[in-house]
Amino acid sequence: MRLLAFLLLLALGLPAHAETIAITNARLMDGERDEAGMTIVMADGKIASVSRGGVAPSGARVVDAGGRPVTPSLAAAATQIGIVGMGSAANTRDEAVSSGPAGAGFAVAPGVDLNDLTIQEARAQGVVSAMVYPDAGNGVFAGTAALLRLDRTGNPVRNANAAVFAVPRGKNAGGSRGAAWALIRNALDEAKRPASAANAPRDDLLNPLDIAALRPVVAGRTPIAIVANREADIRQAIELSRDYGIRVVVVGGAEAWRVADALATSGVGVILDPLDELPFTYDTVGARRDNAAILAKAGVPIAFMVSAQAIYLSYDLGPALREGAGISAANGLSRADALRAITSAPARVWTGKASPGIAVGGAGDVVVWDGDPLEPSSAPAHVFVGGRELSKVTRQTRLRDRYHPSRSGDPLPPAYR
Amino acid sequence: MKRALRQIALCLTLAAASGQLSAQDNISRPQPMPDAPASEYRPLPRQDTLFVGATILDGAGGKLVGDVLVRDGRIVSLGKVADAGNAVRIDASGRWITPGLIDVHTHYGSFILPQGGSREDYSDIVENSGLNAANTWVEHGVRPSDPAFSRALAGGVTTVQILPGSGVIIGGRTVVVHTIPAVTLAQMRFPGAPQGLKMACGNNAVEQGSFPTSRQGQIAGLRHALHEARELLDRRAGEDGKRGKGGHRGGGGSGDPKEVTLAGAIEGKLPVHLHCYRADDIATWIAVLEEYGVKLGTVHHAVEAYKIAPLLARKGVCAAVWPDWWGFKREAEDGIPENAAFLDAAGACVMMHSDIPVLGSLLNLEAAKAAAAGRRAGLDIPPEKAIRWITSNPAKSLGLEDRVGTIAPGMNADLVVWSGDPFSVFSKPDLVLIDGAVAYDRAQRTRQPQSDFELGQPQREGIE
Repeated sequence: MRLLAFLLLLALGLPAHAETIAITNARLMDGERDEAGMTIVMADGKIASVSRGGVAPSGARVVDAGGRPVTPSLAAAATQIGIVGMGSAANTRDEAVSSGPAGAGFAVAPGVDLNDLTIQEARAQGVVSAMVYPDAGNGVFAGTAALLRLDRTGNPVRNANAAVFAVPRGKNAGGSRGAAWALIRNALDEAKRPASAANAPRDDLLNPLDIAALRPVVAGRTPIAIVANREADIRQAIELSRDYGIRVVVVGGAEAWRVADALATSGVGVILDPLDELPFTYDTVGARRDNAAILAKAGVPIAFMVSAQAIYLSYDLGPALREGAGISAANGLSRADALRAITSAPARVWTGKASPGIAVGGAGDVVVWDGDPLEPSSAPAHVFVGGRELSKVTRQTRLRDRYHPSRSGDPLPPAYR
Repeated sequence: MKRALRQIALCLTLAAASGQLSAQDNISRPQPMPDAPASEYRPLPRQDTLFVGATILDGAGGKLVGDVLVRDGRIVSLGKVADAGNAVRIDASGRWITPGLIDVHTHYGSFILPQGGSREDYSDIVENSGLNAANTWVEHGVRPSDPAFSRALAGGVTTVQILPGSGVIIGGRTVVVHTIPAVTLAQMRFPGAPQGLKMACGNNAVEQGSFPTSRQGQIAGLRHALHEARELLDRRAGEDGKRGKGGHRGGGGSGDPKEVTLAGAIEGKLPVHLHCYRADDIATWIAVLEEYGVKLGTVHHAVEAYKIAPLLARKGVCAAVWPDWWGFKREAEDGIPENAAFLDAAGACVMMHSDIPVLGSLLNLEAAKAAAAGRRAGLDIPPEKAIRWITSNPAKSLGLEDRVGTIAPGMNADLVVWSGDPFSVFSKPDLVLIDGAVAYDRAQRTRQPQSDFELGQPQREGIE
């Protein structure tokens, strides 16, 4: 009978769906509610039911959360997992171009290495969705970001043209922000021209690659990220969204709190670093720890990226997002908003539509935590992606087990463990 | 002769390592070099204070609910204090008190914020024109108005070491300061704290095209420099023999400044701090330094220290680590979050360190993460143990364990009153005391120091 079912599946070419899983006694925290005693049932990769005190369906694998918090999986609004590789090994790094013709037309997607250890770590730490963005090179356009889904089904890239990143730095435009903004605006103007005229005039500054990347931006289908911290640049970003009627997202935004109302009015979202509080550069003199709280209160869509001089940004993605959310919650942001900023809000900031969280029919992307997810000391107890539980084994846990103090008396050296 | 000196040096450092914490005056610890300048630091205005009913992590492994009495800048008693005299009573029930936090690895003032302008505008991190900068003292490049000091203070950090960077194998002398911003470095210098000596192994100190271009070249360079320092000590010993005892100034003044500094390290007067990531490198450096009678005090970064935890414990070498840095370069490829916990389990002295300013105000969370990783690996790391990783263990690394890092009678009253459990992201320092004086008060703007740089900046309207 089992063999028959197997052959049937094989014949139909259907994926063997995950078992039905019931998480019971969960404290469900998804940024909308915080309720104890919940049962979450996942079947066919999706959330089948969410109920208070619900009984697990017969045959389901029961995971008793024991009252511990259960949240949607984490979402990184801006990171570079999969393209930074081993930091000092240039041939593993694919996050930036510093020469050659590619500007906006440089897409990071083909360079994403699904086997990169940064992806392995992020997934084990409960991150499922990640916007992977290009770093600034020499031009005012860094390139095109990719949206990843870390579900272990092959290529994690779900949208290879998820956002175009612009960098209004003076040094990337010959020495002045004025020139940088002129080039950004000119690029959008060129991309707005009809396709037939796109490559005709000899004085166009963009090549066909860049034009192709920017067309969906001016059509309002793809957001443009402005990487900026200084208030004046953030004001320029707001004007850009108004003048072109396009979706703009500020990435950085250390001084965004100073323009909170204008950001809210224009619908420009901000992806900020909750750890910012130092005048690390002259662009972040106005950094403060309650930036997120001020923006949220004004109604600005926010999400988080946590850098720590780029160490946390990709190498400690999951824990760093939670630490950032915790710090923002300790500095005036509501717990719900803090949790949203690392789960459902990144999609809202980028696309205008938040991801559904733990809702019937949504993907079975759920994490059971061993403590408060906003505490940096907590960690995932179970990670479910598409309704399947992920193995917790990573290269780091293999090293941990190999060198665990309990093994110190082993007769054979570590290489044999 | 060499062996005798080596043994003296070893005795000095062993004595420092095994000292009891309760009696400030009966301890043998590294004495400052004779050429070390005096401190001009003066405690802020203070009053005797009794903190009542706090949860106290004493930094020595103890946890209790009770009172702490501070008088004349020192801890007088803790537990149930019956007679507090005229001390001001502060209700600390529901709050936690720990020793002031200590950060053994910062570049404050020598890599100043904002990092704008040309490199020489903000970076004096190390003299990297050769492989041996033992004659340089980082304090000569420190700008005390770096805004990072006040952020660290607000994060509960009361003492920091500023080290030269890792671009050369012998980086020069370190300086230990309080986090109360001042106009000159001398006004921040921790009185009587020994300077340290910074060294660096591995990638950062490898040169392209000039010596040393390899790890083995670094060791050759190290041996050469230490050999010369030993010769200086031998010459001095010879002069002593001719003149009778007490002839030379011992460790400072006479001789080539590079050799003088390295001789100070051999004599145990300069705690040695080594930037080093890989287990194999760390083991090599411990062995080579030992050949010349230098005891490695603390290995910094040490992402692979967990692989040689028993060695570090046996040699009495401390490790200053992050909880979660890995992967950003090959030397850091094998970093794991359990590093600190595994070291602790082996009996090694371990501590957190920041290295970058954004982490300088988050040391409590760094320790929280490292301890939690250890607990998940099955190790018993209660708060009273984890707090040592940011208090008494770094105090030991700096040779200051008889002064700070522990709440005990006679110790400096460097304290943090936390709004709650210091290992929770939701807790904050309400009060930070240095030498019994309130250096930071979360509720009082007039007790929150601010750098000259940040003063009057339009972007900061509404923050101040």
